[in-house]
Amino acid sequence: MIDVAPESKKAKDLKGDFWDAKNIQISIGEIITEEKPPEEEVKGPKPRPHVTDLRSWDMKLLERYEPFYAPFCDMCCLCTYGKCELLGKKGACGIDAATQQARTVLLACLIGTAAHAGHARHLVDHLIERLGEDYKIDLGSNVDIEAPITRTVMGKRPATLGDLREVMDYAEEQMSHLLSACHTGQEGDSKDFESKAFHAGLMDDLTREVADLAQIVALDLPKGDEDAPLVELGFGTIDTEKPVVLCIGHNVLPGADIVDYLDENEMEDQVEVCGICCAAIDVTRYNEAAKVVGPLSKQLRFIRSGVADVIVVDEQCVRTDVLEEALKNRSAVIATTDKMCLGLPDMTDEDPDKIVNDLINGNIEGALILDPEKVGEVAVKTAMKLAPIRKSLKKLPDIDEIIELASECTDCGWCQRVCPNSLPVMDAVKKAADGDLSKLEEMAIEELCYTCGRCEQECERNIPIVSMVTKAGERRVKDEKYRIRAGRGPAQDVEIRRVGAPIVLGDIPGVVAFVGCSNYPEGGKDVALMAKEFLERNYIVVTTGCGAMSIGEYRDEDGQTLYEKYGGQFDAKGLVNMGSCVSNAHVSGAAIKIANIFAQKPLEGNFEEIADYILNRVGACGVAWGAYSQKAAAIATGVNRWGIPVVLGPHGSKYRRLFLGRADDEEKWKLKDLRTGEVIDGEPAPEHLLYAAENREEATVMIAKLCIRPTDTPKGRQMKLSNYIDLHRKYLGTIPDDIDRFIRTEKDIPIVYKRDVMKILEEKNWKPRELPKEPSLLER
Amino acid sequence: MIVLNDRIIPWQPTVIAGPKQAMLVTPETATMMIKKARRPLMVVGPLAKRQEVLEHTVKIIRHFDLPVVATADTYRALSEAGIESEPHGIVEITNLLKDPSWEGIRGEGQHDLVIFIGCIYYIASQGLSSLKHFAPHIKTLTICKTFHSNADASFPNMDDDEWFRYLEKMYAE
Repeated sequence: MIDVAPESKKAKDLKGDFWDAKNIQISIGEIITEEKPPEEEVKGPKPRPHVTDLRSWDMKLLERYEPFYAPFCDMCCLCTYGKCELLGKKGACGIDAATQQARTVLLACLIGTAAHAGHARHLVDHLIERLGEDYKIDLGSNVDIEAPITRTVMGKRPATLGDLREVMDYAEEQMSHLLSACHTGQEGDSKDFESKAFHAGLMDDLTREVADLAQIVALDLPKGDEDAPLVELGFGTIDTEKPVVLCIGHNVLPGADIVDYLDENEMEDQVEVCGICCAAIDVTRYNEAAKVVGPLSKQLRFIRSGVADVIVVDEQCVRTDVLEEALKNRSAVIATTDKMCLGLPDMTDEDPDKIVNDLINGNIEGALILDPEKVGEVAVKTAMKLAPIRKSLKKLPDIDEIIELASECTDCGWCQRVCPNSLPVMDAVKKAADGDLSKLEEMAIEELCYTCGRCEQECERNIPIVSMVTKAGERRVKDEKYRIRAGRGPAQDVEIRRVGAPIVLGDIPGVVAFVGCSNYPEGGKDVALMAKEFLERNYIVVTTGCGAMSIGEYRDEDGQTLYEKYGGQFDAKGLVNMGSCVSNAHVSGAAIKIANIFAQKPLEGNFEEIADYILNRVGACGVAWGAYSQKAAAIATGVNRWGIPVVLGPHGSKYRRLFLGRADDEEKWKLKDLRTGEVIDGEPAPEHLLYAAENREEATVMIAKLCIRPTDTPKGRQMKLSNYIDLHRKYLGTIPDDIDRFIRTEKDIPIVYKRDVMKILEEKNWKPRELPKEPSLLER
Repeated sequence: MIVLNDRIIPWQPTVIAGPKQAMLVTPETATMMIKKARRPLMVVGPLAKRQEVLEHTVKIIRHFDLPVVATADTYRALSEAGIESEPHGIVEITNLLKDPSWEGIRGEGQHDLVIFIGCIYYIASQGLSSLKHFAPHIKTLTICKTFHSNADASFPNMDDDEWFRYLEKMYAE
């Protein structure tokens, strides 16, 4: 048989009439029409679960990890009965404060899920249009379980892009039911709202997997390659002498077509293509010559710097005032998706050269172009023409101007009061007025300021504080040169085979996933320091999105970034950048694959058994230190439903809901031992399902604790407790007072700490207890 | 438009949650609240590790013989200052305080007054909101230098000098 697929998988090569013959394969001597393989048999009880089908599992989780609500607002403002105040009262519709919080959380999760689902739907439909619905889902010989979430939820493996569309149909239907439950006069119980939020999270997981699978196979992104290339990261890597095209957002298609256009016209060396947020990650997965400016926190700073000649925005996490900001510097803006049109004229059907001329001449403020290929051409041509014109523009205030602007400060102090992290903004401005820019520079370099711009909005003298911070940081920009490993996609099956037993038995003390956005309390360095801590302790460290970038922006004492120091293998001491936001699906995917490949649990339609397995055996913990978005809420809630705990940074408390366990209530931790059928005493492992820590030190200790699982062998438990005790001693100065809860027999006690721990056990009148053989929350 | 007194607008103004606002208290009133409480609890956060704040905090704890919970990594600083405390995350202690049947830090029953100092403003605000809504059995008092509208009673916004004078008054009687 002759393989007729083109060698190149570049987006541009996937166009044309050739694919109209997509269902035809050519073999010697005959033409055969490909036959679809028969539908796989569903093995588990709940394929394509409807909203209430997994409710019993949710209630088990919620009984152990009760929702902890911290209302952001005392009111409900959703209908015209109100506003209703819910402080100790019910609203006009009968809703109470707890239920209203749960409802708000469900709404947030659905917004997040819709963002991923909209992204996935766009990718799938677009790629089907280019490649045909029979285009194969093939992640290569090292990844047989290509879609663990889809297999589990849908009850079958997706073989083609067309199958992914079917997954989207199902997820969108579920989202519609879930959203309807938020209407006034529908759901009236907080735990049922939470069960629905779990379901929204699961749909989020599913659609993220669809999005990443589609782009991996169709655009030939790395397929679980531990040696994915190291790509350039940081402001300082951008060659400002060249025209610069900046991509912001999450959808790879416009960025991929920009790279293709350059490639096709042999202009690769003439234009810099860079990105912020997940678009950056995914474009560098597509082409390693592209560069990552940095996480979301860099957005306004980079736009204000004026370096970008053209700003291409797609969807999610883009500043909604991007056009206004870009116009200040005469950067051209191209909007590329239906999610964000910015009031711009739709130029999709216009001649590319006319669009370029309109942009250059200022006939239009920007352009909405819904054809990624056309975006590629227009972005490059515009950048080439605009760059020389813009060179003469002054984009930032100079030092004298900063001093003059700063002297306008009236000492009102409101800039620091509205700063999310209460940074000493006014102090920095006052110092600048005296000619000392060091505090402004510190805010830029240490990334303490994530350039939200609220200080400027509040300033009664309209002092452009973010521009001043940007300018003050300018002289150090050249030092901002780092390396990040391009997102590799999923863990390979062979890797799961290798680490499955050590993870379940505890020999690898845990898998820690640093994911999410950059709403950090004290800069991105904290994420890198936590990653370093766990890498040095033999954990598997997984990362995605802005978290992956923040890890890359740190150099250790040897001057190396962690990506240069640690390999990309899914194994102990591996630093595994899986990719963008949507690649978070591979984090839960890896845990699911452990249940399937190591423990031989069937996936199809078998959600509860898989989640139960993960909760009790897979020592994984997610960390979303700078989570800010509704997407992050959906991701965390989805991951939680699979039984994986998540630690948030302090801003995460604003999500209004956590899932906290009560270690002091022994009844909550009883387990069913499926081997013996007995109900036995358990332990708070993992103690919480969704937790917000006040600072890095607290988070680090909590992460180590949340990797403990009932199935740890004594040797594995010793290792996990060693880490927990070490970190507790490092940051709090003592052996943790709750250590007795995690010692089942004396064999669990780390040898180094034996004497001290034994003393605590004696004080607490500790008694040994049985190790569960097959711990479960399920009834079987 | 009437401009409210800056001292009683929440330090981060957008944490205003609704019509109910904390009562602005003086050091004398704060002292009275602690004395009147049967089972008060002091929650000390990481911003209290700053030397001057720590010194005042330690003196207040000793003056009133308060049981103490240290949030985040504050335990070590308190311990080195000779104060015995119990480490809990701020969300963990808030969760325990919500439960009327919890036996409290000293096992003597649920606390009836919680005094906060040194916790990061916005997460403390969320914790206070949780207690405001779901722990009617507890009064909350914040003695930070920032006004917390979600508490039952709070010091106003002020600078360090005034704040330290406030704190000193609490133990100098």
